Amino acid sequence: MSQNQLDQIKKSALLDFENAQNLTELYQAKVQYLGKTGAFTEVMKSMASLSKEEKPLFGKKVNEVKDLLEKLYVHLESHLQAKEIQSRMETERLDLTLPGSNPPLGQLHPVQIVTEEIFKVLSRLGYSLRTGPLIEKDYYNFEALNLPQNHPARDMQDTFFVDPTHVLRTHTSPIQVHSLENEKPPLRIMGTGPVFRCDSDISHLPHFHQVEGMCVDENISMADLKGTIAYFIKEFFGRDLKTRFRPSFFPFTEPSAEFDCSCPVCSGKGCSMCKDSGWIEIGGAGLINPKVFEHAKVDTNKWQGFAFGFGIERMAIIKYGIEDIRLFPENDLRFLKQFNT
Amino acid sequence: MKLSLKWIQEFVAVDEFFSKPNELAQILTQAGFEVESIHDSRSLYHQVVVGQILEKNKHPNADKLSVCLVTTGQNQVHQIVCGAQNHKSGDRVVLALPGAVLPGGLAIKKSALRGVESSGMLCSFKELALEGSTDGIAILDSQAPVGKPFAEFWGLDDLVFELKVTPNRADGLSHLGLAREIAALLEKEMKPGLKPLSGQKALMSGPVQVEVVSQNLCPRYMGIYIENVKVQNSPAWIQKRLESVGLKSINNVVDVTNLVLMELGQPLHAFDADQIKGEKIKVSVANPGEEFTTLDQKKIKLTSDNLTIRDSERALCVAGVMGGLNSGTTVDTRNVFLEAAYFLPDSVRKTSRQHGLDSDSAYRFSRGIDSELTPFALKRAADLIAELTGGKVSSDYIDLDVRQFKVQKIDVSVELLSKRLGYPVSFDKMKNYAKRLHFKIENETSQSLTLVAPTFRHDISHPMDFVEEYARLDGYDKIPETLPALVKNPTSHDVTFTSLKSLAVVATASGFSQSMNYAFCSKKHESEFLGSRENLKNLGFKIEPASIGILNPLNEELNVMRSSLALGLWNNILHNYRYGIEQGGLFEMGQTFFQEGPEMKETLRLSLAAWGNSEDLWNKAGQQINPVFKIKSFIEELANAWKLPSLRVSGAQDQKVPEFLHKGQWAVVEFRNQPIGWVGTMHPQKLADVKIRVPVAMMEVELGSLIEAQSSIKKITTPVKHQAVTRDLALVMPKDLAVGDLLKTVQHKAGPSLISHKVLDIFVGEPIDTDKKSVSIRLVWQDPAQSLQEEAVNQLQAQLLENLTKQFPVALR
Repeated sequence: MSQNQLDQIKKSALLDFENAQNLTELYQAKVQYLGKTGAFTEVMKSMASLSKEEKPLFGKKVNEVKDLLEKLYVHLESHLQAKEIQSRMETERLDLTLPGSNPPLGQLHPVQIVTEEIFKVLSRLGYSLRTGPLIEKDYYNFEALNLPQNHPARDMQDTFFVDPTHVLRTHTSPIQVHSLENEKPPLRIMGTGPVFRCDSDISHLPHFHQVEGMCVDENISMADLKGTIAYFIKEFFGRDLKTRFRPSFFPFTEPSAEFDCSCPVCSGKGCSMCKDSGWIEIGGAGLINPKVFEHAKVDTNKWQGFAFGFGIERMAIIKYGIEDIRLFPENDLRFLKQFNT
Repeated sequence: MKLSLKWIQEFVAVDEFFSKPNELAQILTQAGFEVESIHDSRSLYHQVVVGQILEKNKHPNADKLSVCLVTTGQNQVHQIVCGAQNHKSGDRVVLALPGAVLPGGLAIKKSALRGVESSGMLCSFKELALEGSTDGIAILDSQAPVGKPFAEFWGLDDLVFELKVTPNRADGLSHLGLAREIAALLEKEMKPGLKPLSGQKALMSGPVQVEVVSQNLCPRYMGIYIENVKVQNSPAWIQKRLESVGLKSINNVVDVTNLVLMELGQPLHAFDADQIKGEKIKVSVANPGEEFTTLDQKKIKLTSDNLTIRDSERALCVAGVMGGLNSGTTVDTRNVFLEAAYFLPDSVRKTSRQHGLDSDSAYRFSRGIDSELTPFALKRAADLIAELTGGKVSSDYIDLDVRQFKVQKIDVSVELLSKRLGYPVSFDKMKNYAKRLHFKIENETSQSLTLVAPTFRHDISHPMDFVEEYARLDGYDKIPETLPALVKNPTSHDVTFTSLKSLAVVATASGFSQSMNYAFCSKKHESEFLGSRENLKNLGFKIEPASIGILNPLNEELNVMRSSLALGLWNNILHNYRYGIEQGGLFEMGQTFFQEGPEMKETLRLSLAAWGNSEDLWNKAGQQINPVFKIKSFIEELANAWKLPSLRVSGAQDQKVPEFLHKGQWAVVEFRNQPIGWVGTMHPQKLADVKIRVPVAMMEVELGSLIEAQSSIKKITTPVKHQAVTRDLALVMPKDLAVGDLLKTVQHKAGPSLISHKVLDIFVGEPIDTDKKSVSIRLVWQDPAQSLQEEAVNQLQAQLLENLTKQFPVALR
């Protein structure tokens, strides 16, 4: 192997490298010269015949050429790659106005969405969630809530019976009773789920949903109840709406109130949503009637409490301007898909 | 309850509210008597006045028309063109002036008729929507005051408020009671009016004797005899008054009982005294099975707990609920026995509901009347009947009174009220409000009162009741807004709900939208849909042969509690498909119901439905994907999200297929090797029956065991950095071999370093035998401790193949 041969190889390699038109050709040239069975491997093999003195000198020269070629390769590779990318981009086109490949997400039911929104607000006030059976003993749905047999207030809630002692719960308030029986005050609980009334018309469903809140503590007042409701209304509707209390009657609370918020549609100026009153009726509330505590054996000298509740469909109707309550049980995808979770 | 403002006016002065009814409505609503609507009959006759015809002249251009000059007083004269013939100069008539809109909707404007100007219209009774002569225009009495608004002249200037009276305020079911409330709210004096009964308390009134047998159900019974009555129509004022509260006039006896009911809240009943056989009234329970025909001709069968008013032979009246056809007042009645009683609320309510008999009387008795007022009501009614019928009231009256009053004393203090209302309360106000509400102050200290509620307030028995009374009179607006202190022992949410929330996230991410169906359904449809319940029970469902029925369903479509969620979703699919949604996915999480002995139980389930072929733009080459695999994806995602590897779908070996499923396209959903439900496509006949032309797949599982397992803690492992080795196996096997069963073995027998396995492809056709399929499976091994050597992987693969060929009729392709 001579210097001459090495120069020959170098020259031809440089030429092949420079002439490579694309990355494949360049790579082939690299293999041809620098690969396992390439020209330089031959050169290295031939070094065996050189003298002790010549070996390092020649070896150095060979390495210089190899280094040069390696550097040239890297340089040319990036150059060719850039060129190739450039030309690919000229030809590779994607129409990104076409739809995506994944199936669309499903949506939660508006009742679920609103329930979760309500819980988010109440959770911040320390309320924990409780559930209860839908078929309730008469005792939990009525008796323990100060609605004895043949009490005219039972007429306020048209009740479905499954047998003489079991009803489909007419409200979520039995959840309060279970909590009072099973847990020790102080308590902040909220309950939810389906409730049932034998009532079906343009504005009533026989199966609808309620949310209920109960706070039991020492020194609870109507002002605490009103403050809680006012906070809830502002947070839920996301606006500075006013809260109004009106006297009402529920056997399980005393004093009792119905609460309204200033109309979120017209801000109290009067519109079709609020029937020009400026107020929207939201739900019922009050201080827990001592008779309810007595039924659950809670010491009325130490503990007081308040409770409130409202219909979830109604809240959804107000918040989203839904025109017909009968859309809720229909489960029409064209209705469901309009909500964003 | 309808409140007539003119009627209220008899008890308390409310003149100022005739011009601003909304203000009174606001006051009542803010006091707990919600005003639902106000009916102002004056607005119907706005700009309609009494006029007098000064001159009647012929119309110059029309023979049938006249031109009248009509005065409305104070030198005001209007020229009116009129088409009627029945009027003459001097007549008092009804003139609608421009701006009036008559009850029929006719708007009156200034106009010209055949070239003569007319500034109004003379009205007929028909145009005024009133009963009266149909001949031409309405001619009024010659004394009719000219210029007076017609509504006022005709007695239609009343305002009627429709009130929602809550069940605790039985006292709000009469005009007297509402007047008392208005007086209390506005701090006004009540006008005097109620007269006490005169005459003697006796055992007989006239020839009628009374015996109360069931004293426990009738604590007070009063009656009085009125002889020589002449039953005829009531005078106009009574008719108008009854009409204002929505009652029809019947005759001058019955009308009085209704009038006094609405006025004082005391139900009364007038018997035709000559129909009382044996001249003795007995108040006692009915004979079991006794037949009775009510006034409105409804036949009912009485039971032994129904209280009746009877003579020696039969029931005359279901006490407090409804009179009988046999003894009511008719035109032939000569003598009347008038009853005013106090029947026990519970008993009246029960009887009324038992027979479906609603009446104004039962409504008031069941809420509780003021039995102290009974003698005053009897007096008022007897006097009025005598006056209107020309009858004579007996000087003796009956009063069988065994009431036992429990005087409820309540102690209230400034401290209690301030604490419960959350703002400082004044003692003076407390006292003032108590007085205005007719509480008796039994005792008084500097900061507290001992109160006795008036007899008409059955709802007051506890100091908290007075807290509400104070707040009501002070105005709920005075209550400030504060927040309770932070809870001292915060607790956790119910696990079920949070689990369901997480389930909903997986389902929506898998493309399913949430459905919420009624918890009840049609017994008939459910039975037809589900078929054999035994088959379902064997799949792990909590289900019994019969669904829980509803005793009083709304209709036949909603008469049992659901035993399955699938029927609801199936109906949702039908609904959506009908509206052109040919592809979609729905899921529902909810309770189903079953009875175990006397116990009513519920169980939480999940059901999914997917329908239609997904025609994916990006998957043109691929075959159509049956929607059942969307459900499979969900199950896999859930197993992954909840870390439940033993939640899987297993080929149905010995199980019987649910009858609504395609028997070749279903499988059992298992958890921890126990069946928890089914997944599959719907029976082709079911689809054909409802003309659905796309595939429909569904799933239903019991959630209980999954939720329980899901709540356990998941441990996170550090990802392995050593090289993984991938091998693809192509296996030839019989077509009907469940690949999932094979994969189970793959998972167990490929060594602990197998980290994933998946089916790449299923191939059927040449060169594979026609009864076989070729399944390619990709296996990935990775050892947490070292890089795997080829040799080791070869060995694992060989071991696996040996196991597979031993267990299944498979061969390497």
